[in-house]
Amino acid sequence: MRKCDDIRGRLTLYLDNELQGDERATVEAHLSECEACAAIFARELNFLDAVRSEPLHQASPELRDKVRQIISEGRRVPAVSEKRSSAARPRRFGWVDAIAAGLLVLLLPVLMWRIVRQKETLGPSNFALMAAETHLRHVRGQLPLEMETESPQEISSWFANKVDFKVQLPNYQESSGQEKLYTLEGARLVNYQNDYAAYVAYRMKERPITLVITSGSVATPSGGEVIASKGLRFHYNAIAGLKVITWSDRGLTYALVSDLEERGQKSCIVCHEGTKDQDFIEPLKPH
Amino acid sequence: MDTHGNKVGFGQAALEHLDALYGYAMTLTRDTTEAEDLVQETYLRAANAANRPEGDSNLKGWLFVIMRNAWLNQLRHKNSGPRFVDLELNEQPVDEMQESPHVVYIRKLEREQVREAIESLPDAYREIVVLRDIEGFTYQEIAMVLNCPAGTVMSRLGRARGKLRKALATWQTRTRIRAV
Repeated sequence: MRKCDDIRGRLTLYLDNELQGDERATVEAHLSECEACAAIFARELNFLDAVRSEPLHQASPELRDKVRQIISEGRRVPAVSEKRSSAARPRRFGWVDAIAAGLLVLLLPVLMWRIVRQKETLGPSNFALMAAETHLRHVRGQLPLEMETESPQEISSWFANKVDFKVQLPNYQESSGQEKLYTLEGARLVNYQNDYAAYVAYRMKERPITLVITSGSVATPSGGEVIASKGLRFHYNAIAGLKVITWSDRGLTYALVSDLEERGQKSCIVCHEGTKDQDFIEPLKPH
Repeated sequence: MDTHGNKVGFGQAALEHLDALYGYAMTLTRDTTEAEDLVQETYLRAANAANRPEGDSNLKGWLFVIMRNAWLNQLRHKNSGPRFVDLELNEQPVDEMQESPHVVYIRKLEREQVREAIESLPDAYREIVVLRDIEGFTYQEIAMVLNCPAGTVMSRLGRARGKLRKALATWQTRTRIRAV
């Protein structure tokens, strides 16, 4: 029996061709004489055969041509359509160009002003972008939850051995005794910077709210509009129609994503529903 | 300085891995346009690299490392808006002339199930399943591509396959129910 346990523990390595010499021969010898282990082996082999049977994607002939050109010329080659347009016969300076030039002169001060403003406010951080993107993917049904529950405690326990930090979700709804304004839907892991981040999904009146949590050493909030409240600095960004608030607190970095009104500050109630926290949310409202 | 013969040899060998690289790019980006861009960027970097691996044995792994680094670099520097996800796949038809329509149909169904199950995995799990089970890299090669210890490869792969098995079982049960 102990032999069986030992062999089964090494079946994956055997199936992945990671065993050589004596180790490989030992597994093969055992499989030839133990029906129970041979059955497990056959089941695993079937599963892996199904997964390994077909490539998932194939490059298009157009991409193949482009890559051939890159290899032979050592540089990117413009697409045929781009070449054609740039190689078109030279045009004379006509009335369309004159109007365009006039508009450019008129709009130049506005453009310059916008560029200066953009420099004053940095763009969203990669963490905020990732949070917005995962929110969108989840809403589109492309990122299913790995566990579904309305219990914050169950979510905290589920993350316990999966991420290197502690995910502790408050349960203000029960303690406040107020009307249930939102529901917790579940959680999953998402990949960020070669590490896992915790993804928690809520819903408030049919509108999804996402909370993404990672270690402060992996992501630092930056960019966007900075709003200070209760000793924390919140970075607010509007990304693809979504309101994204990122901040760091006690070694963790958070992103809260929603499509709620104004700056999406109402989404903060997923953790701060109690009346005592209203002054916490207030500064996030646009003035 | 690259001789003409070396260049041709490298080009032919590198081109053999195009489908694999495109598949990995789709795994990383989940978007056909971004995947095609990433593939071109990878070949561009490879074509201009000063130190290419000797022989063909390490070429595939080396190209995957280039692709992953290029992708991480793009993620770090990306600040012009979120990536919009498009899971519509532009796949080329496989030659199925030799098989009966029924077998072709069943194959397609199974392939679709496997693909859906892999697509539903968290990013890191999806990536490791693609590297091992689709591309056939060894644990050591995967560790090189992902820049992590081989032990991490083993444990992550185990967890990923566990999830995949569960997802496929769910789909198979659903298909059986539909068939009844």
